[in-house]
Amino acid sequence: MRKGGEGRARLLLVILIVTSLFLITLDLRGVKVIEGFKQGTQTVLSPFQRAGAVVLNPVKDFFSDVTHLGRTRGQIKKLEAENADLKIKLLNRKNADGQLQQLESILDLAGTAGYKIVNARVISHGSSQSFSQTITIDAGSNAGIKKNMTVLSQFGLAGVVKDVYPNSALIQLASDPAFKVGARIAGSQQIGILSGRGNRSASLQLLDNSTTVKVGDVLLARGSVANRPFVPGVPLGYVSQVDNSAGAVAQTATIRYYTNFSTLGVVAIVVSGPTSDPGDALVPQKPRVAPVPTVTVTVTPSPTASN
Amino acid sequence: MITRQISIATPIFLLIFLIQEALISQFRLPGGGFSILLIFALTWSVLSQPEVAAVIGFAAGILMDLSQSASGPFGQWTLIMLLAGYAISYIGYGDDNIHANAIGIVFFVVAANFFVEIAYLVTGALLGVSTGSIGQIVLTLFGMSIWALLVSPIMLPMFTRLHSLIFDSRSAQ
Repeated sequence: MRKGGEGRARLLLVILIVTSLFLITLDLRGVKVIEGFKQGTQTVLSPFQRAGAVVLNPVKDFFSDVTHLGRTRGQIKKLEAENADLKIKLLNRKNADGQLQQLESILDLAGTAGYKIVNARVISHGSSQSFSQTITIDAGSNAGIKKNMTVLSQFGLAGVVKDVYPNSALIQLASDPAFKVGARIAGSQQIGILSGRGNRSASLQLLDNSTTVKVGDVLLARGSVANRPFVPGVPLGYVSQVDNSAGAVAQTATIRYYTNFSTLGVVAIVVSGPTSDPGDALVPQKPRVAPVPTVTVTVTPSPTASN
Repeated sequence: MITRQISIATPIFLLIFLIQEALISQFRLPGGGFSILLIFALTWSVLSQPEVAAVIGFAAGILMDLSQSASGPFGQWTLIMLLAGYAISYIGYGDDNIHANAIGIVFFVVAANFFVEIAYLVTGALLGVSTGSIGQIVLTLFGMSIWALLVSPIMLPMFTRLHSLIFDSRSAQ
Protein backbone atom coordinates (compact mmCIF):
# COMPACT_ATOMS: atom_id res chain seq x y z
CA MET A 1 0.00 0.00 0.00
CA ARG A 2 1.26 3.50 -0.76
CA LYS A 3 2.34 5.72 2.10
CA GLY A 4 -0.46 8.25 1.50
CA GLY A 5 -3.05 5.47 1.28
CA GLU A 6 -1.84 3.99 4.55
CA GLY A 7 -2.13 7.36 6.26
CA ARG A 8 -5.66 7.84 4.92
CA ALA A 9 -6.67 4.39 6.14
CA ARG A 10 -5.36 5.16 9.61
CA LEU A 11 -7.14 8.51 9.64
CA LEU A 12 -10.39 6.79 8.59
CA LEU A 13 -10.02 4.22 11.38
CA VAL A 14 -9.38 6.94 13.96
CA ILE A 15 -12.39 8.94 12.75
CA LEU A 16 -14.64 5.88 13.01
CA ILE A 17 -13.39 5.00 16.50
CA VAL A 18 -13.89 8.57 17.68
CA THR A 19 -17.39 8.59 16.17
CA SER A 20 -18.27 5.36 18.02
CA LEU A 21 -16.97 6.70 21.31
CA PHE A 22 -18.87 9.92 20.66
CA LEU A 23 -22.09 7.91 20.13
CA ILE A 24 -21.53 5.94 23.34
CA THR A 25 -20.94 9.17 25.28
CA LEU A 26 -24.06 10.78 23.83
CA ASP A 27 -26.18 7.76 24.73
CA LEU A 28 -24.79 7.49 28.27
CA ARG A 29 -25.52 11.18 28.76
CA GLY A 30 -29.13 10.56 27.69
CA VAL A 31 -29.15 12.70 24.54
CA LYS A 32 -32.62 12.47 22.98
CA VAL A 33 -31.37 12.35 19.36
CA ILE A 34 -30.08 8.80 19.82
CA GLU A 35 -33.37 7.72 21.38
CA GLY A 36 -35.18 9.33 18.45
CA PHE A 37 -33.10 7.27 16.01
CA LYS A 38 -34.01 4.06 17.81
CA GLN A 39 -37.69 5.03 18.01
CA GLY A 40 -37.75 5.87 14.31
CA THR A 41 -36.15 2.54 13.42
CA GLN A 42 -38.64 0.62 15.54
CA THR A 43 -41.55 2.55 14.02
CA VAL A 44 -40.36 1.56 10.54
CA LEU A 45 -39.65 -2.04 11.57
CA SER A 46 -42.89 -2.82 13.44
CA PRO A 47 -45.11 -3.29 10.30
CA PHE A 48 -42.50 -5.70 8.90
CA GLN A 49 -42.30 -7.55 12.21
CA ARG A 50 -46.07 -7.79 12.28
CA ALA A 51 -46.11 -9.18 8.74
CA GLY A 52 -43.30 -11.58 9.66
CA ALA A 53 -45.23 -12.79 12.70
CA VAL A 54 -48.29 -13.53 10.53
CA VAL A 55 -46.31 -15.27 7.77
CA LEU A 56 -44.15 -17.36 10.10
CA ASN A 57 -46.88 -18.14 12.59
CA PRO A 58 -47.32 -21.82 11.65
CA VAL A 59 -43.61 -22.58 11.67
CA LYS A 60 -42.02 -20.29 14.22
CA ASP A 61 -42.30 -22.80 17.06
CA PHE A 62 -40.62 -25.48 14.95
CA PHE A 63 -37.20 -25.24 16.59
CA SER A 64 -38.50 -25.19 20.15
CA ASP A 65 -40.72 -28.15 19.26
CA VAL A 66 -37.68 -30.03 17.95
CA THR A 67 -35.86 -29.48 21.22
CA HIS A 68 -38.87 -30.89 23.08
CA LEU A 69 -39.40 -33.71 20.62
CA GLY A 70 -39.85 -36.37 23.29
CA ARG A 71 -42.71 -34.46 24.83
CA THR A 72 -44.49 -33.72 21.55
CA ARG A 73 -44.03 -37.09 19.88
CA GLY A 74 -47.56 -38.17 20.70
CA GLN A 75 -48.92 -34.98 19.25
CA ILE A 76 -46.79 -35.37 16.11
CA LYS A 77 -48.06 -38.91 15.58
CA LYS A 78 -51.61 -37.67 15.88
CA LEU A 79 -50.97 -34.90 13.38
CA GLU A 80 -49.38 -37.31 10.92
CA ALA A 81 -52.68 -39.09 10.63
CA GLU A 82 -54.39 -36.01 9.27
CA ASN A 83 -54.24 -34.65 5.76
CA ALA A 84 -52.29 -31.53 4.76
CA ASP A 85 -55.24 -29.16 4.63
CA LEU A 86 -56.46 -30.17 8.03
CA LYS A 87 -52.93 -29.80 9.40
CA ILE A 88 -52.75 -26.15 8.39
CA LYS A 89 -56.27 -25.45 9.64
CA LEU A 90 -55.54 -27.22 12.88
CA LEU A 91 -52.28 -25.34 13.40
CA ASN A 92 -54.00 -22.01 12.85
CA ARG A 93 -56.94 -23.00 15.02
CA LYS A 94 -54.70 -24.30 17.79
CA ASN A 95 -52.73 -21.10 17.73
CA ALA A 96 -55.90 -19.02 17.97
CA ASP A 97 -57.25 -21.22 20.77
CA GLY A 98 -53.97 -21.00 22.64
CA GLN A 99 -53.97 -17.23 22.40
CA LEU A 100 -57.62 -17.13 23.45
CA GLN A 101 -56.88 -19.34 26.45
CA GLN A 102 -53.93 -17.13 27.39
CA LEU A 103 -56.13 -14.08 26.99
CA GLU A 104 -58.92 -15.54 29.15
CA SER A 105 -56.45 -16.37 31.90
CA ILE A 106 -54.93 -12.89 31.73
CA LEU A 107 -58.40 -11.30 31.95
CA ASP A 108 -59.21 -13.50 34.96
CA LEU A 109 -55.98 -12.45 36.63
CA ALA A 110 -56.48 -8.77 35.89
CA GLY A 111 -60.16 -8.87 36.85
CA THR A 112 -59.48 -10.46 40.24
CA ALA A 113 -56.92 -7.80 41.12
CA GLY A 114 -58.77 -4.88 39.54
CA TYR A 115 -56.07 -4.02 37.02
CA LYS A 116 -57.02 -2.08 33.90
CA ILE A 117 -55.19 -3.75 31.03
CA VAL A 118 -54.46 -3.46 27.31
CA ASN A 119 -53.94 -6.74 25.48
CA ALA A 120 -51.27 -7.18 22.83
CA ARG A 121 -49.81 -9.88 20.63
CA VAL A 122 -46.13 -10.74 20.64
CA ILE A 123 -44.74 -9.89 17.20
CA SER A 124 -41.04 -10.50 17.73
CA HIS A 125 -38.62 -12.13 20.15
CA GLY A 126 -35.40 -10.21 20.67
CA SER A 127 -32.19 -11.89 19.59
CA SER A 128 -29.90 -13.10 22.38
CA GLN A 129 -26.83 -11.64 20.66
CA SER A 130 -26.79 -8.90 23.31
CA PHE A 131 -27.45 -11.35 26.16
CA SER A 132 -30.79 -9.67 26.84
CA GLN A 133 -34.31 -11.15 26.95
CA THR A 134 -36.90 -8.99 25.20
CA ILE A 135 -40.06 -9.27 23.12
CA THR A 136 -41.87 -6.76 20.91
CA ILE A 137 -45.66 -6.40 21.09
CA ASP A 138 -48.08 -4.94 18.55
CA ALA A 139 -49.45 -2.16 20.77
CA GLY A 140 -47.72 1.08 21.66
CA SER A 141 -48.32 4.64 22.79
CA ASN A 142 -51.40 4.90 20.54
CA ALA A 143 -53.03 2.24 22.76
CA GLY A 144 -52.15 4.11 25.95
CA ILE A 145 -49.01 2.16 26.78
CA LYS A 146 -46.22 4.03 28.54
CA LYS A 147 -42.73 3.19 29.64
CA ASN A 148 -42.32 1.23 32.92
CA MET A 149 -45.72 -0.45 32.92
CA THR A 150 -46.21 -3.98 34.23
CA VAL A 151 -46.64 -6.72 31.61
CA LEU A 152 -48.67 -9.82 32.51
CA SER A 153 -48.87 -13.28 31.04
CA GLN A 154 -51.65 -15.74 31.78
CA PHE A 155 -49.70 -17.02 34.81
CA GLY A 156 -48.34 -13.81 36.27
CA LEU A 157 -45.54 -11.35 35.65
CA ALA A 158 -44.00 -11.42 32.17
CA GLY A 159 -41.88 -8.27 32.29
CA VAL A 160 -41.93 -4.52 32.09
CA VAL A 161 -42.32 -2.02 29.24
CA LYS A 162 -38.84 -0.83 28.38
CA ASP A 163 -39.45 1.35 25.29
CA VAL A 164 -42.63 2.56 23.64
CA TYR A 165 -43.19 3.40 19.98
CA PRO A 166 -46.47 4.55 18.37
CA ASN A 167 -47.64 1.07 17.35
CA SER A 168 -45.31 -1.26 19.19
CA ALA A 169 -43.44 -1.58 22.45
CA LEU A 170 -40.33 -3.34 23.63
CA ILE A 171 -40.81 -5.50 26.73
CA GLN A 172 -37.95 -6.46 29.00
CA LEU A 173 -38.80 -9.98 30.13
CA ALA A 174 -38.54 -10.94 33.79
CA SER A 175 -35.91 -13.48 32.72
CA ASP A 176 -33.56 -10.71 31.53
CA PRO A 177 -30.34 -10.63 33.58
CA ALA A 178 -30.82 -6.90 34.22
CA PHE A 179 -34.39 -7.35 35.48
CA LYS A 180 -35.08 -6.73 39.16
CA VAL A 181 -38.38 -6.64 41.05
CA GLY A 182 -39.29 -6.22 44.70
CA ALA A 183 -41.01 -9.40 45.87
CA ARG A 184 -42.85 -10.60 48.95
CA ILE A 185 -43.66 -14.11 50.00
CA ALA A 186 -47.39 -14.81 50.14
CA GLY A 187 -48.53 -15.47 53.67
CA SER A 188 -45.38 -14.65 55.63
CA GLN A 189 -44.99 -11.24 53.90
CA GLN A 190 -41.18 -11.46 53.93
CA ILE A 191 -39.68 -9.15 51.35
CA GLY A 192 -36.73 -9.48 49.01
CA ILE A 193 -35.36 -8.66 45.61
CA LEU A 194 -35.84 -10.98 42.65
CA SER A 195 -33.29 -10.86 39.81
CA GLY A 196 -33.49 -12.49 36.38
CA ARG A 197 -30.88 -15.00 35.31
CA GLY A 198 -31.37 -15.32 31.57
CA ASN A 199 -33.71 -18.31 31.81
CA ARG A 200 -36.91 -19.33 33.59
CA SER A 201 -35.25 -19.36 37.00
CA ALA A 202 -34.47 -16.27 39.07
CA SER A 203 -32.63 -15.55 42.27
CA LEU A 204 -34.29 -14.14 45.36
CA GLN A 205 -32.36 -12.28 48.00
CA LEU A 206 -34.26 -11.70 51.22
CA LEU A 207 -33.72 -8.36 52.91
CA ASP A 208 -34.08 -9.63 56.46
CA ASN A 209 -31.56 -12.29 57.53
CA SER A 210 -33.65 -13.41 60.49
CA THR A 211 -36.42 -14.79 58.30
CA THR A 212 -36.50 -18.07 56.44
CA VAL A 213 -37.95 -19.26 53.20
CA LYS A 214 -38.99 -22.77 52.19
CA VAL A 215 -39.44 -24.65 48.94
CA GLY A 216 -42.89 -24.09 47.46
CA ASP A 217 -43.38 -20.59 48.91
CA VAL A 218 -45.22 -18.36 46.43
CA LEU A 219 -43.78 -14.97 45.49
CA LEU A 220 -45.83 -11.89 44.58
CA ALA A 221 -44.75 -8.48 43.31
CA ARG A 222 -44.50 -5.92 46.09
CA GLY A 223 -45.62 -3.03 43.90
CA SER A 224 -44.05 0.35 43.21
CA VAL A 225 -44.92 3.96 43.95
CA ALA A 226 -47.88 4.98 41.71
CA ASN A 227 -47.99 1.35 40.46
CA ARG A 228 -45.06 1.85 38.06
CA PRO A 229 -43.12 -0.12 37.08
CA PHE A 230 -44.86 -2.83 39.12
CA VAL A 231 -48.41 -3.18 40.34
CA PRO A 232 -48.79 -5.03 43.65
CA GLY A 233 -49.91 -8.62 43.99
CA VAL A 234 -48.81 -10.04 40.62
CA PRO A 235 -47.74 -13.69 40.97
CA LEU A 236 -44.04 -14.09 40.12
CA GLY A 237 -43.12 -17.70 40.82
CA TYR A 238 -42.40 -20.16 43.56
CA VAL A 239 -39.31 -21.13 45.54
CA SER A 240 -37.69 -24.16 43.91
CA GLN A 241 -34.50 -24.27 45.95
CA VAL A 242 -33.24 -22.63 49.14
CA ASP A 243 -29.55 -21.73 49.28
CA ASN A 244 -28.34 -22.20 52.82
CA SER A 245 -24.75 -21.05 52.55
CA ALA A 246 -23.07 -20.54 55.89
CA GLY A 247 -22.03 -16.97 56.65
CA ALA A 248 -24.34 -15.39 54.07
CA VAL A 249 -25.58 -11.92 55.02
CA ALA A 250 -29.09 -12.63 53.78
CA GLN A 251 -30.82 -15.81 52.76
CA THR A 252 -31.07 -16.46 49.04
CA ALA A 253 -33.27 -18.82 47.04
CA THR A 254 -33.82 -19.96 43.49
CA ILE A 255 -37.22 -19.11 42.06
CA ARG A 256 -39.05 -20.75 39.18
CA TYR A 257 -41.18 -18.21 37.28
CA TYR A 258 -44.80 -19.14 36.61
CA THR A 259 -44.49 -17.62 33.14
CA ASN A 260 -42.99 -19.72 30.37
CA PHE A 261 -41.20 -17.01 28.40
CA SER A 262 -40.64 -19.09 25.28
CA THR A 263 -44.36 -19.62 24.66
CA LEU A 264 -45.62 -16.07 25.12
CA GLY A 265 -48.21 -15.34 22.43
CA VAL A 266 -50.47 -12.80 24.08
CA VAL A 267 -49.64 -10.46 26.95
CA ALA A 268 -51.46 -7.71 28.85
CA ILE A 269 -50.05 -4.37 29.86
CA VAL A 270 -51.41 -2.92 33.09
CA VAL A 271 -52.29 0.67 32.19
CA SER A 272 -53.94 1.40 35.52
CA GLY A 273 -53.27 -0.29 38.84
CA PRO A 274 -55.77 -1.41 41.47
CA THR A 275 -57.27 1.06 43.91
CA SER A 276 -56.24 -1.18 46.81
CA ASP A 277 -53.54 -3.81 47.18
CA PRO A 278 -55.05 -7.19 46.19
CA GLY A 279 -52.87 -8.87 48.83
CA ASP A 280 -52.59 -12.60 48.32
CA ALA A 281 -55.73 -12.82 46.15
CA LEU A 282 -53.76 -13.78 43.05
CA VAL A 283 -51.82 -16.65 44.56
CA PRO A 284 -52.33 -19.54 42.14
CA GLN A 285 -54.35 -22.39 43.56
CA LYS A 286 -52.58 -25.68 43.93
CA PRO A 287 -53.98 -28.33 41.60
CA ARG A 288 -56.62 -30.34 43.35
CA VAL A 289 -56.54 -34.08 43.14
CA ALA A 290 -59.86 -35.24 41.69
CA PRO A 291 -61.56 -37.59 44.13
CA VAL A 292 -61.72 -41.15 42.89
CA PRO A 293 -65.30 -42.37 43.06
CA THR A 294 -65.75 -45.38 45.28
CA VAL A 295 -67.67 -48.13 43.64
CA THR A 296 -70.17 -49.71 45.98
CA VAL A 297 -71.72 -52.96 44.96
CA THR A 298 -74.88 -53.94 46.71
CA VAL A 299 -75.92 -57.52 46.41
CA THR A 300 -79.53 -58.33 47.04
CA PRO A 301 -80.24 -62.04 47.57
CA SER A 302 -82.73 -63.21 45.04
CA PRO A 303 -85.46 -65.53 46.25
CA THR A 304 -84.60 -69.06 45.27
CA ALA A 305 -87.31 -71.25 43.95
CA SER A 306 -88.31 -73.90 46.44
CA ASN A 307 -88.69 -77.42 45.21
CA MET B 1 -16.70 4.22 -7.86
CA ILE B 2 -17.19 4.77 -4.13
CA THR B 3 -20.66 6.23 -4.75
CA ARG B 4 -21.60 3.12 -6.72
CA GLN B 5 -20.28 0.84 -3.98
CA ILE B 6 -22.13 2.69 -1.24
CA SER B 7 -25.38 2.93 -3.23
CA ILE B 8 -25.42 -0.85 -3.75
CA ALA B 9 -24.08 -1.87 -0.32
CA THR B 10 -26.52 0.30 1.69
CA PRO B 11 -29.75 -1.40 0.56
CA ILE B 12 -28.10 -4.81 1.03
CA PHE B 13 -27.21 -3.94 4.63
CA LEU B 14 -30.72 -2.60 5.24
CA LEU B 15 -32.32 -5.68 3.72
CA ILE B 16 -30.26 -8.02 5.88
CA PHE B 17 -31.08 -5.93 8.95
CA LEU B 18 -34.77 -6.17 8.03
CA ILE B 19 -34.52 -9.96 7.57
CA GLN B 20 -32.84 -10.25 10.96
CA GLU B 21 -35.37 -8.10 12.81
CA ALA B 22 -38.59 -9.12 11.03
CA LEU B 23 -38.01 -12.79 10.26
CA ILE B 24 -35.14 -14.42 12.13
CA SER B 25 -36.08 -12.79 15.43
CA GLN B 26 -39.52 -14.48 15.16
CA PHE B 27 -37.91 -17.81 15.98
CA ARG B 28 -37.01 -18.57 19.56
CA LEU B 29 -33.94 -20.55 18.55
CA PRO B 30 -32.24 -22.76 21.12
CA GLY B 31 -28.81 -21.65 22.34
CA GLY B 32 -29.35 -17.96 21.63
CA GLY B 33 -29.74 -18.29 17.86
CA PHE B 34 -27.64 -16.31 15.40
CA SER B 35 -27.40 -12.85 13.90
CA ILE B 36 -27.34 -12.93 10.11
CA LEU B 37 -26.17 -9.31 10.08
CA LEU B 38 -23.19 -10.19 12.26
CA ILE B 39 -22.26 -13.17 10.07
CA PHE B 40 -22.72 -11.08 6.92
CA ALA B 41 -20.54 -8.21 8.19
CA LEU B 42 -17.82 -10.59 9.39
CA THR B 43 -17.79 -12.48 6.07
CA TRP B 44 -17.45 -9.24 4.10
CA SER B 45 -14.75 -8.04 6.50
CA VAL B 46 -12.71 -11.21 5.92
CA LEU B 47 -12.94 -10.61 2.17
CA SER B 48 -12.17 -6.88 2.22
CA GLN B 49 -9.20 -4.61 2.73
CA PRO B 50 -8.75 -3.50 6.36
CA GLU B 51 -10.05 0.07 5.89
CA VAL B 52 -13.09 -1.15 3.91
CA ALA B 53 -13.68 -3.82 6.56
CA ALA B 54 -13.66 -1.12 9.25
CA VAL B 55 -16.36 0.81 7.36
CA ILE B 56 -18.38 -2.40 6.89
CA GLY B 57 -18.07 -3.14 10.61
CA PHE B 58 -19.05 0.43 11.45
CA ALA B 59 -22.20 0.27 9.28
CA ALA B 60 -23.21 -3.15 10.64
CA GLY B 61 -22.53 -1.97 14.20
CA ILE B 62 -24.79 1.07 13.77
CA LEU B 63 -27.61 -1.19 12.59
CA MET B 64 -27.01 -3.62 15.46
CA ASP B 65 -27.15 -0.72 17.89
CA LEU B 66 -30.47 0.32 16.34
CA SER B 67 -31.83 -3.18 16.96
CA GLN B 68 -34.48 -3.39 19.69
CA SER B 69 -32.56 -6.22 21.35
CA ALA B 70 -29.36 -4.19 21.84
CA SER B 71 -29.11 -3.81 25.59
CA GLY B 72 -25.94 -1.72 25.81
CA PRO B 73 -25.47 1.98 25.08
CA PHE B 74 -25.80 3.14 21.47
CA GLY B 75 -22.37 2.89 19.87
CA GLN B 76 -21.16 -0.16 21.76
CA TRP B 77 -21.79 -2.53 18.85
CA THR B 78 -20.49 0.13 16.44
CA LEU B 79 -17.15 0.32 18.24
CA ILE B 80 -16.80 -3.45 18.60
CA MET B 81 -17.78 -4.21 15.03
CA LEU B 82 -15.50 -1.63 13.45
CA LEU B 83 -12.54 -2.89 15.48
CA ALA B 84 -13.48 -6.51 14.76
CA GLY B 85 -13.88 -5.81 11.05
CA TYR B 86 -10.52 -4.08 10.87
CA ALA B 87 -8.77 -6.73 12.98
CA ILE B 88 -9.96 -9.82 11.11
CA SER B 89 -9.29 -8.19 7.76
CA TYR B 90 -5.81 -7.10 8.92
CA ILE B 91 -5.03 -10.64 10.07
CA GLY B 92 -6.42 -12.40 7.03
CA TYR B 93 -5.98 -9.98 4.14
CA GLY B 94 -3.56 -11.18 1.47
CA ASP B 95 -3.43 -14.67 2.92
CA ASP B 96 -4.60 -17.03 0.18
CA ASN B 97 -4.92 -19.85 2.71
CA ILE B 98 -7.91 -17.96 4.01
CA HIS B 99 -9.38 -16.21 0.97
CA ALA B 100 -9.00 -19.05 -1.51
CA ASN B 101 -10.47 -21.52 0.91
CA ALA B 102 -14.13 -21.50 1.93
CA ILE B 103 -13.35 -23.51 5.07
CA GLY B 104 -10.82 -20.84 6.04
CA ILE B 105 -13.42 -18.09 5.71
CA VAL B 106 -16.01 -20.05 7.69
CA PHE B 107 -13.46 -20.75 10.42
CA PHE B 108 -12.53 -17.06 10.53
CA VAL B 109 -16.16 -15.95 10.68
CA VAL B 110 -17.09 -18.41 13.45
CA ALA B 111 -14.02 -17.51 15.50
CA ALA B 112 -14.66 -13.79 14.96
CA ASN B 113 -18.33 -14.27 15.93
CA PHE B 114 -17.18 -15.84 19.21
CA PHE B 115 -14.61 -13.14 19.99
CA VAL B 116 -17.00 -10.33 19.05
CA GLU B 117 -19.52 -11.66 21.59
CA ILE B 118 -16.75 -11.92 24.21
CA ALA B 119 -15.75 -8.32 23.43
CA TYR B 120 -19.39 -7.27 23.80
CA LEU B 121 -19.56 -8.96 27.20
CA VAL B 122 -16.33 -7.38 28.42
CA THR B 123 -17.20 -3.85 27.24
CA GLY B 124 -20.74 -4.38 28.53
CA ALA B 125 -19.35 -5.26 31.95
CA LEU B 126 -17.21 -2.09 31.87
CA LEU B 127 -20.25 -0.01 30.91
CA GLY B 128 -22.47 -1.63 33.56
CA VAL B 129 -24.65 -3.82 31.35
CA SER B 130 -26.03 -6.93 33.11
CA THR B 131 -25.38 -10.10 31.14
CA GLY B 132 -26.55 -12.96 33.35
CA SER B 133 -24.95 -15.91 35.06
CA ILE B 134 -21.69 -17.47 33.90
CA GLY B 135 -23.47 -20.69 32.97
CA GLN B 136 -26.01 -18.87 30.84
CA ILE B 137 -23.27 -16.83 29.12
CA VAL B 138 -21.22 -19.94 28.32
CA LEU B 139 -24.33 -21.67 26.99
CA THR B 140 -25.24 -18.68 24.80
CA LEU B 141 -21.68 -18.29 23.48
CA PHE B 142 -21.49 -21.98 22.66
CA GLY B 143 -24.94 -21.95 21.05
CA MET B 144 -24.19 -18.88 18.95
CA SER B 145 -20.93 -20.38 17.72
CA ILE B 146 -22.70 -23.59 16.71
CA TRP B 147 -25.35 -21.57 14.88
CA ALA B 148 -22.66 -19.49 13.14
CA LEU B 149 -20.94 -22.72 12.11
CA LEU B 150 -24.20 -24.02 10.62
CA VAL B 151 -25.34 -20.80 8.95
CA SER B 152 -22.03 -19.42 7.58
CA PRO B 153 -21.39 -22.18 5.00
CA ILE B 154 -24.96 -21.89 3.73
CA MET B 155 -24.79 -18.13 3.32
CA LEU B 156 -21.16 -17.93 2.20
CA PRO B 157 -21.71 -18.33 -1.58
CA MET B 158 -24.33 -15.57 -1.62
CA PHE B 159 -22.31 -13.21 0.59
CA THR B 160 -19.10 -13.68 -1.42
CA ARG B 161 -20.99 -13.19 -4.71
CA LEU B 162 -22.50 -9.94 -3.42
CA HIS B 163 -19.10 -8.84 -2.20
CA SER B 164 -17.38 -9.45 -5.53
CA LEU B 165 -20.29 -7.75 -7.32
CA ILE B 166 -19.79 -4.57 -5.32
CA PHE B 167 -16.09 -4.48 -4.56
CA ASP B 168 -14.92 -6.36 -7.65
CA SER B 169 -12.37 -8.26 -5.60
CA ARG B 170 -11.43 -11.89 -5.17
CA SER B 171 -13.90 -14.15 -3.48
CA ALA B 172 -13.89 -17.67 -2.17
CA GLN B 173 -15.23 -20.19 -4.62
